[in-house]
Amino acid sequence: MLKLKSLKRWLLPLAACCLWPTQAAWSVGDVLTTPSMPTELAPTTLLIDVVEVGERLVAVGQRGHIIYSDDKGKSWSQANVPVSTLLTAVYFPDEKHGWAVGHGGLVLHSSDAGETWVKQLDGNLANEMVIAQAQERLANLELELENAEPDMQEDLEYAVEDAQFALEDAEIDAEVGPSKPLLDVWFMDKNTGFVIGAYGFFFRTTDGGKTWENWGGYVDNTERFHLNAIEEITGGMLFIVGEAGYVFRSVDYGESWETMESPYDGSLFGVSGNGNVNEVFVYGLRGNIFYSEDSGEGWSSVDVDAGETLMAAAIGKDGKMVVIGNSGVMLLSQDFGENFRVKVRDDRLALLGAKYLSDQRLLLVGESGVSILSGLQY
Amino acid sequence: MSNKLHDQGEHFIVSPNAEPFLERMIFNNRFVILIGFVIITAFLVYNAVQIKPDASFERLIPLEHPYIQNMMENRDDLENLGNSIRIAVAVKDEKSSIFTESYMETLKQLTDEVFYLPGVDRSGVKSIWTPNVRWVEVTEEGFQGGTVIPDGYVGDKNSLDKLRQNILRSGEVGRLVADNFRSAIILAPLLEINPETNEPLDYAAFSRELEEKIRDKYHALNPDISIHVIGFAKKIGDLIEGIQAIALFALVTVTLTLVLLYGYSRCWSGTLTPILASLVAVFWQLGILRLLGFGLDPYSVLVPFLVFAIGISHGVQIVNAMAIESARGFDAKTSSRLAFRSLYIPGMIALLSDGLGFLTLLFIKIDVIKDLAVAASIGVGVIIITNLVLHPIILSYVGISKSGIRHVQKGGEAANKKWRFMSNFSHPHVAPISVLIAIIGTGLGIYYKQDLKVGDLDRGAPELRPDSRYNLDNDFIIENYSTSSDILVVMVKTATEQCSSYPVMRAMDQLQWELENTAGVESTASLVTVSKIVTKALNEGNFKWMEISRNQQIVNSSIQRAPSGLINTDCSLTPLLAFLEDHKAETLQRVVDKVEAFVKENPSDDFQFLLGAGNAGVDAATNQVISKAKDLMLVFVYSVVSLLVFITFRSIRAVCCIVIPLGLTSILCEALMAQLDIGIKVETLPVIALGVGIGVDYGIYIYTKFEHYLIEGKPLQEAYYETLRSTGKAVMFTGITLAIGVVTWIFSPIKFQANMGLLLFFMFLWNMIGALWLLPALARFLLSPEKMVAKARAAEAA
Repeated sequence: MLKLKSLKRWLLPLAACCLWPTQAAWSVGDVLTTPSMPTELAPTTLLIDVVEVGERLVAVGQRGHIIYSDDKGKSWSQANVPVSTLLTAVYFPDEKHGWAVGHGGLVLHSSDAGETWVKQLDGNLANEMVIAQAQERLANLELELENAEPDMQEDLEYAVEDAQFALEDAEIDAEVGPSKPLLDVWFMDKNTGFVIGAYGFFFRTTDGGKTWENWGGYVDNTERFHLNAIEEITGGMLFIVGEAGYVFRSVDYGESWETMESPYDGSLFGVSGNGNVNEVFVYGLRGNIFYSEDSGEGWSSVDVDAGETLMAAAIGKDGKMVVIGNSGVMLLSQDFGENFRVKVRDDRLALLGAKYLSDQRLLLVGESGVSILSGLQY
Repeated sequence: MSNKLHDQGEHFIVSPNAEPFLERMIFNNRFVILIGFVIITAFLVYNAVQIKPDASFERLIPLEHPYIQNMMENRDDLENLGNSIRIAVAVKDEKSSIFTESYMETLKQLTDEVFYLPGVDRSGVKSIWTPNVRWVEVTEEGFQGGTVIPDGYVGDKNSLDKLRQNILRSGEVGRLVADNFRSAIILAPLLEINPETNEPLDYAAFSRELEEKIRDKYHALNPDISIHVIGFAKKIGDLIEGIQAIALFALVTVTLTLVLLYGYSRCWSGTLTPILASLVAVFWQLGILRLLGFGLDPYSVLVPFLVFAIGISHGVQIVNAMAIESARGFDAKTSSRLAFRSLYIPGMIALLSDGLGFLTLLFIKIDVIKDLAVAASIGVGVIIITNLVLHPIILSYVGISKSGIRHVQKGGEAANKKWRFMSNFSHPHVAPISVLIAIIGTGLGIYYKQDLKVGDLDRGAPELRPDSRYNLDNDFIIENYSTSSDILVVMVKTATEQCSSYPVMRAMDQLQWELENTAGVESTASLVTVSKIVTKALNEGNFKWMEISRNQQIVNSSIQRAPSGLINTDCSLTPLLAFLEDHKAETLQRVVDKVEAFVKENPSDDFQFLLGAGNAGVDAATNQVISKAKDLMLVFVYSVVSLLVFITFRSIRAVCCIVIPLGLTSILCEALMAQLDIGIKVETLPVIALGVGIGVDYGIYIYTKFEHYLIEGKPLQEAYYETLRSTGKAVMFTGITLAIGVVTWIFSPIKFQANMGLLLFFMFLWNMIGALWLLPALARFLLSPEKMVAKARAAEAA
């Protein structure tokens, strides 16, 4: 670990000053270093996620847009953001500290409830980190192999080979550049949290994002499927869902992960509770949605004809919940998800994030920005 | 006729001795000259009737402007973008939708019909009935899709429900199917050159086919639908059709002139000879144009009218002078000689100013305007020969009839009262009031012309009226579909195979976003838009992937199926499209300024962002050329006219008397344009030059007579009274006749002809008023009769 830390120590300032090697062809700034342009269009163009931070709402979306509202979505201000790439998710573990993730392996941090943001990690740095860890693991394994008992040698040889492949993969990734998006973020508190993303990207921090460790090895995802969503459900269990129906669960706030049996082999894009302890829904492609009453031990298919890919959910009061997705689809329930009613919005534009306001109106973000629905029929 | 000065002519061009020579030469050889005219006219008429319409796009645009040069250089690669037509087939009943069996059957037949229209690029035809329109869906196994028309479609409710579902999944709502599901579009790209015959597309014929085989036929077959057609080809077709209506206007103008002339002269020879001479001028002008290799475009088609009008204006002067001389008892030949003697100098000066005034239009680097300048100058040059030589010769044979002479004699008393009253314009008490009114008028004019805009201000195709069928169709399609008719294209040039490289895409994306944040831009589209959408689609439709990938392989696969217009064959050029709210000059300028600022702030050696194709790019370039040329042109017109007037009358005061009323007219005309929302553009700019050129005629005729009587020793008001009695009468008549002649254009189906008609109407009328009312008032302040007499005596003595 010592070696890794020293590496990081000189990598971080390097990352800050000259993250992307200057190329002659670049006339317009790199999206990872160009601040988001102030625009009135931010609340009406693509937004992907929305969260509540105390009384405030914070939403993230395209071109580095982070907007916040202190009047329940009536008016929005645009935050200062040092990047202008697509942001895919945002999470606040308390009323001040929050993280947003996005394309190019990006992690942003705010410590003033979302008004200003700084960059903590991006794909260049992440790639270096993965390479360093792969190198370390390979070195350790080789050392082990040298000193190993003969009967252990065969297994270790395989392990060395795997480590070599992993290193090669990481090196190829680094050559391509910071191309991989992070897709979701979850923090336990202002120090410890996880970011997940495409091709199995998975990092953990325990110092509020100052340093990150590759946590990819803690889930069984050797094929490097996309990890799409991470969420804590009532009762304190953590779930990650991903491509090809993968479902991972952690009972120790992310220290260790187990692979759950999946009800589905298509992609899952979201995981949410319904407010009841250990009850959880996973959902994804083509309107497939599954329910588990025992924290993912067993699944049952929810019988609803949604048709469209489901992306996110929100939990309201008294058993009300909504699952939303592409083409304006909304699944509405008032009995903790036992029964859903399907509603498709006329504009058929994708809905990607939702939050119940305190008066039970529903705030949605998506393809055409923010919209607020009241008087929902369940 | 005792005054020696009068007999000699007060002004001369070559020398005092040459003039009688010219007159002698013409009138002593009048038969030979007449025969010569007949032969030349026959030859030129033969040529004139063969003149071809010439409506080429390139002549309408400023070819020297950098935007246009960029567009022309990359024309081949941009071709797929532009020339297509859209046929929207709408359900009339507000409660119905396109999902009925009969509608779908009609749409299917229409699609087939369009497919077989000559000129249509069949491989590119798109409608929900063509197999290239598909729906795609992501499934666990990958992509699934099919044609929008479901397999086994039979037109029953089940099929139609399935069709609706497929349309929703196809993403064609807003493109091929209206947002309200009450109409659908057939999109047909056109081939500029027919590959079988190698002949260019005949827009007029194609447009006619669209009317006959599509609109009329299917309106009759299915009365429940309405058909709306837009596209460049349709617009040009409608324009050509509209121009043909010009024949009707010609007839109306000639008839009106005939009636008015007869009412004025009460003499058939006095009526028919000016018309004959002016028509000869028109044929000469057209014949010469053809011999010089010109055709008639939508703008120069108006020049024959101008030539006819100017010819009549000078012909009336001749007839008027002739009648006055005849009334004094001279025979036809002598009257004609006297009329020629008194008029050919002012006539020639006036026509020279017209011609040179028109030539200043050459400063505008747009071919149609240059053509207009050449055509109008030729026409005016021809009038010098036909109306100042041919017309008096004919009159010297036919003479003014007895009834005409009686009309001049008899009409005296009543008319004299009128002239007596009008002569008060030069009265010392009235003149200051007139000048004050003129100053106030100038002030008001300057105030109201502040709103004067460059460019076109209405929606839709600027050439046609806002309520023309084409523009109504255009409104229908814009309202119901996600499209705009005002498109600015930025051409992005890179090295070969580099057009989709990440740095280029990143720069395009940034420019698109900056444009979307510019007022007047509705939306933008480019390869980047396609790449983002397809990257999202390839990632199972997950919007979290709606971004340009930095992985070039992902970018490449995302644009594999990009529409052909968005990428050229060797990937060295890709267009960036901005869809604008309108084509007002401020909007266009704001958007091109934004692009130019972006280019300046983000220089690169590897790619270039070039303005500007698309109709908005052309309009922006045209506006820039016009606003730059406008003031220059006015300065030149006024300089040329002032100089000629000065050379003729050798007096700055004369220049002021004649040119100041013209200036007032120009200012008021611009104020009128501003208030009527007529912008300065290709068709209205020439009117400003033409107006000055024609207006100066009146002033020159009036001033010549006025000066003549002053030198005879008459007091100012008396001299003006005599002027009104002789020339003034003709000027007034001419102004009214010409104004009525052009005012009929207001009914033209083509908006620019209507605008030109309106403005010329105002110019003809107001220039006449300026010459008759303001000129004498200015003379009261500027002229000193005693000095003029003394100066004339001195010249005579010398």
